[in-house]
Amino acid sequence: MAGAIIENMSTKKLVIVGVILLLFQAFAFMVGGLIAPSPTTAVHYLATKCVDKVKKPQQTKWFMPWGEKKCVNIQSFDEAMAKGIEANNIVFAVHIPLPNKEMSPWFQFMLVILQFDIAFKMYNQIADGALVHIDVGLAYRDDMNSEWTEMAHSLEQRKLSCNFTATKTHENEGRHYECDLLPFMEVGSVAHKYYLLNIRLPVNERKKINVGIGEIKDIRLVGIHQNGGFTKVWFAMKTFLTPSILIIMIWYWRRITLMSRPPVLLEKVILALGISMTFINIPVEWFSVGFNWTWMLLFGDIRQGIFYSMLLSFWIIFCGEHLMDQTERNRFSIYWKQVGPIVFGSFCLFIFDMCERGVQLKNPFYSIWASDIGTELAMAFIIVAGICACLYFLFLCFMVFQVFRNISGKRMSLPAMSKARQLHYEGLIFRFKFLMLVTLACAALTVIFFIISQVNEGHWHRGEHMVQVNSAFFTGIYGMWNLYVFAIMFLYAPSHKHYGDEQSSIQCITGDAGVNSCEDIQPTTTITHVDGPTEIYKMIGQEAQE
Amino acid sequence: MARESLQVSSGWILELLSLVVFSTRYLAKLSSVGSIRDEETCERLRGLIQRQVQICKRSVEVMDAVRRGAQLAIDECQFQFRNRRWNCSTLESMPVFGKVVTQGTREAAFVYAISAASVAFAVTRACSSGELEKCGCDHNVHGVSPEGFQWSGCSDNIAYGVAFSQSFVDVRERSKGQSSSRALMNLHNNEAGRKAILSHMRVECKCHGVSGSCEVKTCWKAMPPFRKVGNIIKEKFDGATEVEQRKVGTTKILVPRNSQFKPHTDEDLVYLEPSPDFCDYDPRTPGMLGTVGRQCNRTSKAIDGCELMCCGRGFQTQEVEVVDRCSCKFHWCCYVKCKQCRKMVEIHTCR
Repeated sequence: MAGAIIENMSTKKLVIVGVILLLFQAFAFMVGGLIAPSPTTAVHYLATKCVDKVKKPQQTKWFMPWGEKKCVNIQSFDEAMAKGIEANNIVFAVHIPLPNKEMSPWFQFMLVILQFDIAFKMYNQIADGALVHIDVGLAYRDDMNSEWTEMAHSLEQRKLSCNFTATKTHENEGRHYECDLLPFMEVGSVAHKYYLLNIRLPVNERKKINVGIGEIKDIRLVGIHQNGGFTKVWFAMKTFLTPSILIIMIWYWRRITLMSRPPVLLEKVILALGISMTFINIPVEWFSVGFNWTWMLLFGDIRQGIFYSMLLSFWIIFCGEHLMDQTERNRFSIYWKQVGPIVFGSFCLFIFDMCERGVQLKNPFYSIWASDIGTELAMAFIIVAGICACLYFLFLCFMVFQVFRNISGKRMSLPAMSKARQLHYEGLIFRFKFLMLVTLACAALTVIFFIISQVNEGHWHRGEHMVQVNSAFFTGIYGMWNLYVFAIMFLYAPSHKHYGDEQSSIQCITGDAGVNSCEDIQPTTTITHVDGPTEIYKMIGQEAQE
Repeated sequence: MARESLQVSSGWILELLSLVVFSTRYLAKLSSVGSIRDEETCERLRGLIQRQVQICKRSVEVMDAVRRGAQLAIDECQFQFRNRRWNCSTLESMPVFGKVVTQGTREAAFVYAISAASVAFAVTRACSSGELEKCGCDHNVHGVSPEGFQWSGCSDNIAYGVAFSQSFVDVRERSKGQSSSRALMNLHNNEAGRKAILSHMRVECKCHGVSGSCEVKTCWKAMPPFRKVGNIIKEKFDGATEVEQRKVGTTKILVPRNSQFKPHTDEDLVYLEPSPDFCDYDPRTPGMLGTVGRQCNRTSKAIDGCELMCCGRGFQTQEVEVVDRCSCKFHWCCYVKCKQCRKMVEIHTCR
């Protein structure tokens, strides 16, 4: 094989390719910033306090907070005392969405956060480590007049972590505790138009259920869903990117199979990177619009996980294959030490995700953070994954350092080498530096945009227009990594310029020491030698011994 | 004549409050639900000017929330002023707070601010509970399209609550033109009250990226509890600025009377005239009840202390047996079981 395209390309052509890619990059940012709305919306809901029959509580009935079949409700619990209503007769009802609106499958997912408004009372304070037991039902319907169908029903526990900032005196009665947000519900697809939540907080003094949770004034929920507009832009982007990556991938692999030698490890890894990118790109989410596939959220996580671990592995192997330290590599097993942490770390995150979002397929109210054991388990998984990530970055940094050390070593001895060897090493160095630079740029851009989107309030006003920074971040970064993979497959594909003279490309010269030293006159990498890489490794090894 | 028009122009919120206090009692007699449902009731509500009646008719559904808001304002006012000479007591007649608040005093500033805030607060709450159908998507929404909600979601309910408070509460002052200093003061204090909510919104965030990471994060603003809003406005009351009207070019603005003071900000309360001492009952000024008979704290040196509260008239001390609740068992709602404890307490009342 000849060298990669990037080496044989003229600077002019390289610049043209770079500019085209940059244009696409700018386009990706603009699509998100100007066309798409913000990625997600949070809607506030205040639970209506419905009153179940005092005599015979009806567990099976659904309570509507508003509309024609509105429940009998009270404004505040001060009224309840006088009417002889007790805690067990209260049903908190929330209708999602608010009146005159409809949910849509384009929302992709729906998370609900729960918040209690608890007033401080001298004699009715929140006990330490108080647990709230929540009896919750979720129902749906698709038109305003039909009956509600139950979707899920569960008895959940949530830990109240509230603190009271003022001093606990009579003076401050009536002030509210500041309570942490509680994760409440997560649904992976929004297939129905209307949802109804009925929440009860049953009290049982004997079993110590819902005792010592203070005086609850209100229940507030926050519903989060992806914006329909963002989903559409996102799908459009995926639909456009899938064939682009797929075509370049097929072209790339065809080039490799055209060569007489079997593909080397680096080439295989690049292909794997392309495949994982395509896997993430394929817009299977289109189906979520028509089908009620709740596992789409989990599936999306898995796809992203596979891509990330592939990308990390690619960097390690790319560095390793450009190490120029005369060891024979070209085998995946060499890299187990570096790839191991990636695989193990992603596996940990996968288990964690299965424990959280996997279980939520069955019970949308489940949260691993709700119980103590679950929290510890989740923390353990995340910490292990974090350690793996640290290990990986240590390895990567060390490898990059090694490559640079070898490069500077080679630079010194470069003038003394024959022309062919010189070209060969220069090619290696150029390829490595190029990828290093591009990767660093991409990573830096990702980090910068991530920070901006975290700090920023989400949109910038530019005169009449509003720029959605968060959406621009998502589409821009997503487009960027696609272009990255695209560029790698294009630029690191074998060049066709020297197909003809492959067989005659090896010249062996008898050196001064009487040792045969063979040199590849083409500026290729050691590992892409036509007779297999072993020979070259041997040669370089000999040279090193000298 | 001038004095009369001043009173009329200043009284709107009080009348709104009286609308609340009386109309609900009045309505409560009419219908068992006691809510403002049909457009006819708008006409019957006393104290509204024509423009407000129009708004009332156009958005009858909101009036229930307005009523709750006004009740909230009165409760909060009475809580914040429980230890002061003027304790925000309401009258059975119009205007509810008596004449105390019809003058441009600090107390008036507080009442206006808390009322404007409470209307915004209550309307926002009503929005979130689904009581109102117009919220959010009508006002301040980006990307106006028939499918606005599905494309980009709706704006926060607080935007609607504040906008409603502005249109309904401020219309009174605006309809008189912004010429009089009272109108300027009231508008400023209304806005300051709403700012007490807006600038103390709590930002809350939830991460929901891959495996719950913060790759994707959604943030929203949550309204502070009303007690907190009351505390903020009370602080502003304590640090209120005395102002006077001045003409700059063609517009009239309010500037601090003492030019050495820092100019007030949008969030500060302003007043035009110093408050009376509220010590004595004045039959000619409704609402001026005096402090005779008020309870005071003998050990305190502050305004709730007997010295200041009783304006130096001295106090009586009585020993009374109080039946107190003790060793109670509470549920989170509506249930208390207590033992009764009797204890002797000394009560001090102003002469």
